[in-house]
Amino acid sequence: MAFVNFQNVTYKYPLTKTPVLKNINLQVNEGEFIAVMGPNGAGKSTLCYALAGFVPHFFKGEISGEIEVDGKKSSESTLDEWVLNVGLAFQNPFNQISGAKYTVFEEIAFGLENIGVPRNEMKDRVDEAMALTGIRDLADRSPYSLSGGQQQRVALTSILVMRPRLLVLDEPTSQMDPIGTREVFGVVRKMAEEGMTVVMVEHKVEWIAHFADRVIALNEGQVLMEGKPNEVLTADLLPEKGFGISRYTSVARQAQQQGLWKQKQLPVTLFEAAEGFTSKGGGGSN
Amino acid sequence: MPERLSFHIKRDSALHHLNPLTKLLLVLTLILTAFLAPFYWTPHILAVLFIPLLSMLGKVGREYFSTAIRLILPAATFLFAMQAFFQPVGEEIIFEFYFLDITRESFLFAFSNAMRIVVMVSAFTIFLLTTHPSELMSDLTRRGLPGQFAYVIISTLQILPQMQAKAQTIISAQRSRGLETEGGFFKRAGALVPLIGPLVFGSLVEVEERAIAIEARGFTSKHVKTSLHEIPDTSTDKLLRWFLTALILASIGLRIWLS
Repeated sequence: MAFVNFQNVTYKYPLTKTPVLKNINLQVNEGEFIAVMGPNGAGKSTLCYALAGFVPHFFKGEISGEIEVDGKKSSESTLDEWVLNVGLAFQNPFNQISGAKYTVFEEIAFGLENIGVPRNEMKDRVDEAMALTGIRDLADRSPYSLSGGQQQRVALTSILVMRPRLLVLDEPTSQMDPIGTREVFGVVRKMAEEGMTVVMVEHKVEWIAHFADRVIALNEGQVLMEGKPNEVLTADLLPEKGFGISRYTSVARQAQQQGLWKQKQLPVTLFEAAEGFTSKGGGGSN
Repeated sequence: MPERLSFHIKRDSALHHLNPLTKLLLVLTLILTAFLAPFYWTPHILAVLFIPLLSMLGKVGREYFSTAIRLILPAATFLFAMQAFFQPVGEEIIFEFYFLDITRESFLFAFSNAMRIVVMVSAFTIFLLTTHPSELMSDLTRRGLPGQFAYVIISTLQILPQMQAKAQTIISAQRSRGLETEGGFFKRAGALVPLIGPLVFGSLVEVEERAIAIEARGFTSKHVKTSLHEIPDTSTDKLLRWFLTALILASIGLRIWLS
């Protein structure tokens, strides 16, 4: 039995006419790192909300099918129980700051206070989580005085510190520079290796290719493709449907049409592209 | 840009180390005594002697006096003038200015009322200067104040300055597109219209996201909440609270007995 299980999930917000998620079937194993990608309006954020219990418990609306995490059914659970197992961080970091705390340290402790973690354990856990995401030096700053990227790290840390079994991230690196992005992917990968299950919505395909175990391509509320990162990210179908793809894939595809790319598999990352063009049988010499 | 809306000044003083509830009760006692005590000079003694001493005990004397001079005294003076001139009591006129006059009674009445206001505002000022808002709220939550209520108060203190900053951004954006925000009264008022829409609707959207964010962090969890900071509540605090409660009862009692 998979850790996360979506069975024929169809969902419509109270004020929309057509469903946002259409007949989604999805299985995620424990400790797996899944990346979700798709064009605007594909239903990525709604999928995140559904995983985290906010669809339908917070947004209401009409839902059919079954969502299960760790053997528990969303329909039979309440939101306050659900969030103990599933952590959610989303895109806009500014709105994820609780507003009730004056320092980053207190901000990260907020969730632990809410679920009644004893003081000493709380301090240790906050310290540990901040060390993990590399924001120890921000501990005494006001969360509002930080840059967007720093706030995103605080938001991620605030969720990690609660040690959810399933971590749901909706574009957690959108305001980060390449170094920050790399670090966040690294942290998430590490969490997955320690057994946390991760579902992450991301557009940065090269990082997905490097770090994720599996990619799900979502389009118009349906799963368009799923599979190993390099298979999905290099599929011909993606650019046709308006997905953003790696520039290295585009270049290699052009080269393939000219007969200059001789490998079976198209590349996603710079490294793979360089490798493919220069290796034996590759076409870079001309 | 103001980072937050808080008067709190971090110092190491006896007043800072008191439990927030004790301090709140002290404020209440001061106000009630000033308003209820049957002796004419009570508010004056409190305002001139006790309050300054209290501010020095809390090591916030300088901050208190600067607030008092800039804010509390002008307000109290205004209040005094209004009441002294327009209180229609008494016969014995001690001051005349065209059609305005002050009688002995209206003078005394206005003076003690102004002093009461000084005591009230000063007590709160010293309270705010020596108490961290989140400490106050965690303490009250621990004593049974609903978490939602505490959250609304404390987040408003932080989010208002953020909204102010956002309003500034919107104004700058509108100005860069040619909106005129300087000039006469009507021009300025008109410039507010394109500000209000984005600000209000933007804030409503934010409210939903913020609700999701705090919910995801267990805000409505049924567990008993804990607190990161230990809030002092010593036997001195408890003793002081009993003493203050007795004082409140005494001033109420004296008032009833003597009237």
